[in-house]
Amino acid sequence: MASSASAAVVGSSPHRPLPPALSDNNLQPLFVLHKAASEKEDRKSVRRRMNIAPADHQRVDAGECMDGFQEQLQREAFEFVWSKIEKTIKAVLKNINSDAFSEINSWILESFQAINSFSSTSSYEATRSFPTAIDPASKRLFTGLVLTRNMEFVDDLMTFEDLAQHLKSQGCHVANLSSLEFSADNGTGGCIRSLLRQFLLSAVDAADMSILSSWYHALGNGTPVVVIVNELERCCGSVLSDFIIMLSEWVVKIPVILIIGASTVDVPGNILHFNALRCLCSCKFTLRTPVERMDAIIEAVLVKKCSGFSISQKVAVFMRNYFTSHDGTLSAFIRALKIACAQHFVTEPLSCLLKGFDEDENQCFQEKYDFLQEAISKYNWSITSCRRRSKVDERGGKKLVSAMVELKRLQDGWSCALMCLYEAGKRSQIHLLDLLCEVLDPDLYASRSPDSNSSSRKGSFISQAIQNVRDLPEAQFINLLKSWEKHVIAIPEIHGKVKDLQYMWKFGNAKRRKEQPPDMPRTQTSQNHLNVQRASKAVNDRAAIFIEYLINDLMQPMECVPFHEIVCFKNVEKLKAALAGDPRRQIQVDLLGSCRTLHCSCCCRYRDILLPSMQDTSIMYTLSQEHGDVINLYDWYESFKLILQPTNKGKHKKQSIFSKKKDTGKSEKLNEVAIQGRFCRGVTELQIAGLLKMQSKRRPDYLQRVAFGL
Amino acid sequence: MAKEESPRVSRRSTRSATSTPTSNKITEGGTEEAVDLCSPSVSDLVYGDPISLDVLLSTFPGRKNQILDLIQLLGPLNSPTLPFFVYGGPSTGKTSVILQLFRHLNRPFVYSSFRTCYSLRILFESILNQLILHHRNAANGYSSAKRCDKPSDFVILLREALTGVIKSLKESVGKSKFSKSERPINGYMTYLIFDNLEVVREWGKASSLLPFLFNLYDILKIPEVGVIFISSTSPDMFYSNMSCVEPIPIYFPSYAENDLRQILLRNQANQKLYSSFLDVVLRPFCRITRRLDELCPIFATLYMQYCKPLSDPGAVPNEDMKRRLYSNLQPEISSALNEIFRVQSRSSPEAETSRKPEQIGGKRKLASSEKLNELDFHMCTSAKYLLISSFLASRNPATLDASLFDSTGGSDSRKRRRKSSDKVKAQQETAEEELLTKGPGSFPLERLLAIYQCLTSVAEGSPDEEAGPDDWIGIGGENNMLSSDVLLQISSLCNANILVKGGSCPLEGSTRYRCMVSEDLALKVARTLRFPLAKYIYRR
Repeated sequence: MASSASAAVVGSSPHRPLPPALSDNNLQPLFVLHKAASEKEDRKSVRRRMNIAPADHQRVDAGECMDGFQEQLQREAFEFVWSKIEKTIKAVLKNINSDAFSEINSWILESFQAINSFSSTSSYEATRSFPTAIDPASKRLFTGLVLTRNMEFVDDLMTFEDLAQHLKSQGCHVANLSSLEFSADNGTGGCIRSLLRQFLLSAVDAADMSILSSWYHALGNGTPVVVIVNELERCCGSVLSDFIIMLSEWVVKIPVILIIGASTVDVPGNILHFNALRCLCSCKFTLRTPVERMDAIIEAVLVKKCSGFSISQKVAVFMRNYFTSHDGTLSAFIRALKIACAQHFVTEPLSCLLKGFDEDENQCFQEKYDFLQEAISKYNWSITSCRRRSKVDERGGKKLVSAMVELKRLQDGWSCALMCLYEAGKRSQIHLLDLLCEVLDPDLYASRSPDSNSSSRKGSFISQAIQNVRDLPEAQFINLLKSWEKHVIAIPEIHGKVKDLQYMWKFGNAKRRKEQPPDMPRTQTSQNHLNVQRASKAVNDRAAIFIEYLINDLMQPMECVPFHEIVCFKNVEKLKAALAGDPRRQIQVDLLGSCRTLHCSCCCRYRDILLPSMQDTSIMYTLSQEHGDVINLYDWYESFKLILQPTNKGKHKKQSIFSKKKDTGKSEKLNEVAIQGRFCRGVTELQIAGLLKMQSKRRPDYLQRVAFGL
Repeated sequence: MAKEESPRVSRRSTRSATSTPTSNKITEGGTEEAVDLCSPSVSDLVYGDPISLDVLLSTFPGRKNQILDLIQLLGPLNSPTLPFFVYGGPSTGKTSVILQLFRHLNRPFVYSSFRTCYSLRILFESILNQLILHHRNAANGYSSAKRCDKPSDFVILLREALTGVIKSLKESVGKSKFSKSERPINGYMTYLIFDNLEVVREWGKASSLLPFLFNLYDILKIPEVGVIFISSTSPDMFYSNMSCVEPIPIYFPSYAENDLRQILLRNQANQKLYSSFLDVVLRPFCRITRRLDELCPIFATLYMQYCKPLSDPGAVPNEDMKRRLYSNLQPEISSALNEIFRVQSRSSPEAETSRKPEQIGGKRKLASSEKLNELDFHMCTSAKYLLISSFLASRNPATLDASLFDSTGGSDSRKRRRKSSDKVKAQQETAEEELLTKGPGSFPLERLLAIYQCLTSVAEGSPDEEAGPDDWIGIGGENNMLSSDVLLQISSLCNANILVKGGSCPLEGSTRYRCMVSEDLALKVARTLRFPLAKYIYRR
């Protein structure tokens, strides 16, 4: 039957050229399950394909050349943009923990001095086997507890590597031990072996701490030895405890300082043995929370000038929800961003203009314009946001260039306004991601009428931020103004306005000081105080008006700008499908409609009827749909057999049984064996695909269905 | 502590005449290593410069009896001894006393601790390396002198090495009268010291190693060898079914309060002030622990607190000042008594005043009242719901699931008994005790997923859940996505030790899980989701 299926494919091929979905490197889930065709058929099909190929080529039109060029431009642009984004993300993640790193470093130096004050062992004594110090305080192991404040650990792998790099650059000897090394089967020996491998850079036969000691003292330079344990939660508690106790006995001879990564402070108490806890003299350091890191990444990648690539509100909301409710890791977020970016460059032909978008300036577009003249005339129709404005004509390209420049200008203004808003909202802990989702909303923008005072709905993040500006106390207000000045420095007119605000504040302040001589009766002071408050309130109000002006004037969401398709990714459905791909569902769909995928002419004709020529697994899966959550094996097999050997000619069969009893009996028996074999294979395939669960010992006749519904 | 600093330089000068005694330690390291390499001698087997008996006794207050006993057992020079077994609680000075005693006697010994020697091979090779005077360093590729991982090989090699050492010791005894370059060693008796013997009991191979060690003296049959075992557990734990001569036991009792005071006072600069400090703290802490290694760090931090109000560290306290300092310290003492593990947070110098050690354990409840609402680590929403549902699955009996999560929304169908007779109370107490001793219950994955499904549907259905700034976003589209990543989240919950995979159920053959979070944490998580967890917890 298998041969018939694939033969059907081959047979149908002359009428219908192979669709691109069937080309070699496009594996569909069903093909994994599909049995290999016999050699003979294979050769045949290859020949067929070779026959087809030239025909395909002939149909290729002259635009092919252009397409290839276009494709290459797009690929280049994607690589360029993504490498830029990636570099930015890396730099941001490295920077965000730099203060924690330097704090750790200074703590290490302090503890190293403390250890040295306890022990003044010579290299000779250090290699002796017995403990030389008897002061119990000298057994304390200095431990830095680095709190990641995240349940997931993926994001912090890089952080700890960066930390190791940082400490190495500061002159420490650093070894990184992962949680795998602290497994129960490796034991303490595994940890020491790994330590020696990292420090001595050679494999040692019998790993012993005394080797480390003699290595350290042969070096002769007084630098601390830092051991970083990545992920405390996954370590085997007893092994790590033994390791810590052992280290604490050697700490006099080798100045070991331990750094442990854990999610919260309670973890060591839960995992380690009491005797090991006693040895630790610990100090905690906190890394930035994932939300803070996320905000930093968004600021650097999507808000500030990075690559020009931006996302629409729907995509932003989707990514935000994905982060907060599903996979709270930065790595997942970055992956989603990468998928969005790749999708954008694949689907949007003009996206190649993004390469060099952030650089200077007109010229870049001009250069490309010459190359793209043809492409633009071809694709301009696809840019919906400017369909009514620009006709496909000679000047289309020129228009595009000016539009791009305009787009860029708008983006700059938008990012600077958003940053100002973010600074204002920082006090009430508004996250940039939330703010971004709100700011990008085109409906909200449309609902904002230019003359109305309230620029946003009540309770939204924007209005919260504005309220914040109104309520800000004096000391923080000047800081806010300073941070605003930093953000708007690129746009002269707004910069002037911020300067005005600052003058106003300063002027008010000076006036107040003048009005308030030091020796004044109390009643008057309080009255004065009221005045002062009123005055500062006025400045606050002016600032709030300023920020509202920013929102109304500059905060045009990308989606409302003409030609935004070039820079903005909007297709949230594609991103969703790529991220939360549902492979099991796809397998089920393909199994139920196998003939559609296989393009087999004989089976496709009868949609709903199961034919013996169909693929075995597909028949079996369709049959299993009739059962409940448990399938009786015998019934299933019977119905399977019935389809492979239709008994509609029962009468005839009966006769034949009487006439040629022996012969048919044999062949039928053979057939039965083959059917059983195929049935078993089908069951196994379904089990591997995760659609079935094998029978339990209690109910040997029943199989359990695992996946229901599509 | 105080006694071992000065003599080091002079010893080295006697050992290697080439190196100048005044030279800097660190720069000298390299040459010294070379000297060690080219002339390893049996004098490496003794501790160092001998100390007198008076110094020894004064170093260890409260250990006079034990030291004298040990000296008596070791006997005069070159007299054979039976193996003996030193035991006593942790941190009672066993190892230090033995080592300093050998320093006083100036006799050669080989020390090996089972903490460092974590396997048979490491133990054997470490002993042999010391006896053969082999140093593992870069020059010999950090390899041992002999490869040995079987007890039978070890006996042969050990006998060989020991006879060699004893022979050279006997020669040097005769020689040392004439030559001045070698340091004299007292006698040719060599002692093998095995420390931390209690660790061996946790080894898998303990059953074979322990009898071997205890029989080592009989197997070797060399009268010039003494064997000493040091353990923190009593000898009864070891020779339950062993046929060997029991070593002579020597017991180190834990320190009395007075001894502790003497030991703690030894190195203090301001004896009077520290003594007044000890008056305050020693008694309450002695009721909890007498282990020096626990008391030392606690007292160090407390003493810093104690001295804080004083401007002059050398001040001699009077009664009034003592009282003032005590009242200052009192709250610290009670918290320090309760804590197990102290994590200090480093704060920048300008925020010096806010430097406060954070405590875990007993004090947590007191300190965390103001930050009850915030969770101190990041979790995504679906992981939070999973945590809550696993907590419920662990806490509630499975039979109650149907009534808790039925369509009416649960919690109303729960029976409310209002009997408060003594009998019911007693029942409650036993039930609570049972819960405490049994720990959280285990549950199959299917049950967890079912509860999770119910919880998320309830949460999405409730009107007040999303009534916030979020509602304009709309979460309708993500319903089906909620289930797609759940299995991934379960595995990361397992990694974070929130869920623990238990043994598989013998009947169904599927793995069972167990939720390890405390009720506090679960409630905290529920509060961040605004989920009424308390309504769902079944209380007897």
